[in-house]
Amino acid sequence: MDSQPNISRFAACLQVFRLTLRRQFFSRQTIVIGVQLFLALAITIVWAVPKPWSPGARTGEQLAEQILSPLFMGFLLPLISLGYASSSISGERTGQTLVYLLSTSIPRPQIYLSQFAAVLLLTLGITLGCLSSLCVAAGMDGVAVLREFAPVVTLATVCYVALFLLFSAWLRRATFLALAYALMIETLTANIPGVMKRITVSFYAHSWLYDDSPLDLAPNANLPPYEPVSGGIAVAVLLAASIGFLALGMWLFSRKEYE
Amino acid sequence: MTIEGINTAVRPLVEVGNVSKWFGPLMALNDISLEIGPGITGLIGPNGAGKTTLLKLLTGQSKPSLGSVQICGHLAWLAKAKAHVGFCPYGDAAWDELSGRRLVTVTAGLHGFTGDEAKGRTESVLETVGMVDRADRPVRTYSKGMRQRIKLGQALIHDPDLLVLDEPLNGVDPVGRVELNELFLRLAGAGKAVLISSHILNEMDELADHILFVCRGKLLASGSLETIREVLGDYPLKVRVSCESPRQVAPQLMALESVKSVNVEPPEDLFLEVQNPNRFYAEFGEFAIAHDIQLSRLRATDTSAEAVFDYLMERAARPE
Repeated sequence: MDSQPNISRFAACLQVFRLTLRRQFFSRQTIVIGVQLFLALAITIVWAVPKPWSPGARTGEQLAEQILSPLFMGFLLPLISLGYASSSISGERTGQTLVYLLSTSIPRPQIYLSQFAAVLLLTLGITLGCLSSLCVAAGMDGVAVLREFAPVVTLATVCYVALFLLFSAWLRRATFLALAYALMIETLTANIPGVMKRITVSFYAHSWLYDDSPLDLAPNANLPPYEPVSGGIAVAVLLAASIGFLALGMWLFSRKEYE
Repeated sequence: MTIEGINTAVRPLVEVGNVSKWFGPLMALNDISLEIGPGITGLIGPNGAGKTTLLKLLTGQSKPSLGSVQICGHLAWLAKAKAHVGFCPYGDAAWDELSGRRLVTVTAGLHGFTGDEAKGRTESVLETVGMVDRADRPVRTYSKGMRQRIKLGQALIHDPDLLVLDEPLNGVDPVGRVELNELFLRLAGAGKAVLISSHILNEMDELADHILFVCRGKLLASGSLETIREVLGDYPLKVRVSCESPRQVAPQLMALESVKSVNVEPPEDLFLEVQNPNRFYAEFGEFAIAHDIQLSRLRATDTSAEAVFDYLMERAARPE
């Protein structure tokens, strides 16, 4: 080991990325998320089958209103994101393996960014894969709906992952806080009148969806009492929040002394 | 009460300057200053003494509340310093789903080594820690001793200048202990600084060039065992002398000014308490020649790490 070593900072970050990706994919979270997706797929298939009392084919609007908006965006998307993001750093911490990452000569912000990239890639793959499966399972109109939902789901996933990774850098048991947030804030607050819902990611995701969609997805009696902001504002807020959460997480991770 | 005995002729790899560390109201380290150079340094102290806190500061896992910790001239918290440090933490945690070989290769990757360089280093350290033949098994199937070896391999992968080992022999079988101790000595001989935190004090006797005694967040003493023992002048040195006819020799020994007391243990042992060791050895040499004493053994019995540690603890417990 006396020869001049060929050290690459990029290669080190890539190793963090690969390690995180592998450990997160081959984890209990994937099994739990897989079960959730299977159930969602089963619900969608049953929903898509023409019923005697409703013999016509389902429309894209119906798919968006009855399946994708409440089940996927309101429930599955935050759960999939928190499953991976909230358990990444806090999982290494509770498993007492974070010390191996923090003992390397990779600056902490770069470790955090590498973890973010790995979790984001995995979460995006699962959420977009899940969205595609649900749309395809719903029938031909589903493909058109997929085109409308894909960019919104992508940006919402980025925002969720940035938020839940911040929780993960902050707390040892980040999954509990993330679950509380997803179930209490995203699911409940997003469905009540008033301005409180404006602190949720799903509000801005839905606002963007309603504003820009060529489908007739404007709020109606079947949807939560939305008072959406414009699509431009929604995208700006989601982008700003993602960058803000990411920057805050990097700052926290860089300064925090982990036990 | 701090006793300094480290030779600082060469610039030390580690410089700890007036470091204090609080966790809320708890003061884990209290104004500690020390230096660590090449060779083996033992870190000794009771539970809660501040050893782990000190190791965390040295490996950049935490920051001092006051003072500074520098590794090769860089603040230990910074990434630059960590390139010089290999850390083998306490506990069995590792990425258990990986094989031992893969674990070490991944660690090589985390240090920025790629391709053949990473593979070459992996095989080299696996051989160094004696895990080549067991490296393809998943880490979760390893015994405690095997885990220690593979963790040591991880710590060595980037050829660090400072190796920080927290209880590295914990769970290692006796043969393994001998092998690992030889490895530590080889690394020290190659100019590395090896810091070993251990509660097995008698191992430090054989292994460590320097000892750091910590207790209640303070550095009680640092230096070689001999140096520290000599400075503990208020504790007479205990010396065992084995010779023919100890009963005749005992009263004559009492005549030496440096000898405080003599106990005879038949058939051939004398146990002395000596006030001034250097003076005693000089006087005893002359005495043995003059009286033609046939010595079969002359050995200080309380210069071990354990004995010195007991004295230091006793001294620390005294009211100021």
